[in-house]
Amino acid sequence: MMKIYTGSGDRGKTSLFSGERIVKSDLRIEAYGDVDELNSVLGGLIAGLPDSLRPLAGDLMKIQCDLLDIGAWLATTPESSAVEMLVPFTPKKVAWIEAAIDRLDEPLPPLQGFILPGGHPAAAGSHIARTVCRRVERHVLRIKDDHRDVSASSLLTYLNRLSDYLFVLARYCNLKTGTAETLWETVREKDTSA
Amino acid sequence: MTPAGFSTPLIHRQWLTGTVVELHFQCPDGFRFEPGQRLRICHDALERDYSLASAPGDPELRLVVRVFPGGRVSTYLSRVEIGQPISFYGPMGYFVYRESPRTAVFVATGTGVAPFLSMCRMGVSGFICLHGAKDRAGLLYAAEFEKQAARYVPCLSRGADAGSRDFAGRVTDYLGGSLAPGDYDFYLCGHQEMIRDAFQIIDERFEQAHVHSEVFY
Repeated sequence: MMKIYTGSGDRGKTSLFSGERIVKSDLRIEAYGDVDELNSVLGGLIAGLPDSLRPLAGDLMKIQCDLLDIGAWLATTPESSAVEMLVPFTPKKVAWIEAAIDRLDEPLPPLQGFILPGGHPAAAGSHIARTVCRRVERHVLRIKDDHRDVSASSLLTYLNRLSDYLFVLARYCNLKTGTAETLWETVREKDTSA
Repeated sequence: MTPAGFSTPLIHRQWLTGTVVELHFQCPDGFRFEPGQRLRICHDALERDYSLASAPGDPELRLVVRVFPGGRVSTYLSRVEIGQPISFYGPMGYFVYRESPRTAVFVATGTGVAPFLSMCRMGVSGFICLHGAKDRAGLLYAAEFEKQAARYVPCLSRGADAGSRDFAGRVTDYLGGSLAPGDYDFYLCGHQEMIRDAFQIIDERFEQAHVHSEVFY
């Protein structure tokens, strides 16, 4: 019978999936910690979806699964044989998310300017997820550059597209719930004229 | 890969000690696993994971089970009648042998030998094996490990017999003071205290090591 905790991380180190012992402030840990955060934000978003947006849950959970795969890639050094145990991150995943973006984007009105992140709680949650996703992207870029990890390239394409998906998702959530988007210029003009 | 559900009959039971039993089940069609992986036994709304001790391709699945007083699943497994089916999911887990240029060090206590048995039976050899038990009677499958290991070190917490080559002390004592510096892949399988102590020693003595662990209650 297996136990969930070992206490092996109590002194600030942890093991990568590929077995190396590294400090918990290592860039790889920051990166997959952010992926974990993004996944949890998506979990909160799914949990709070109103009935009118419930059909989005399937795609969002598929993305959650992809994020677990991304976490596993980030926890594996490229020269390790453990790479063979990972799910290949193929262009097919990017193509899938691009198709999802196109489906959500189709009914949206053209953007009239910068919009304030917010609106319906589901839209606000999408914006939070988008900003965490951008942070993940920045960390993965550093792993690619600093650690010369070529596997990070395919992750970067997916993450960049996921950020776009989450932006479009936020707009879609506002549209489908009848929530108006707030233009930055509109609020700013009111503020300056007051 | 999503773990699949199976049902398969018990075909053999052998007590190894007063509390440890080896069980053989027929390997169901379509069940594939890697050495070191686990299956999840389902009984009476309870689920418990056990590492497979057999090699992939064997016609039988083998488990090494410690029967705990009051342990509902282990007690059930120790008593299920020959021919009766058990239900399980699997395979599960990532505690698998990984090829590398470093020397593998297997550290096993109690029924934590199971995943290493599977690896040995698959043909893995040339490793260092630190095998912990209270006394020689508790060194399950010692002969199999001795045959495959480059170095086999029985670590006996109650002390070694005078004149024997056994190490007097726990596996963690050996890790802390007797294992020479080197470039290692550690594989740890056993109870939580051993795993925790081993990690601390490895972090202090073998900073460049790779470590894989599977922890038992």
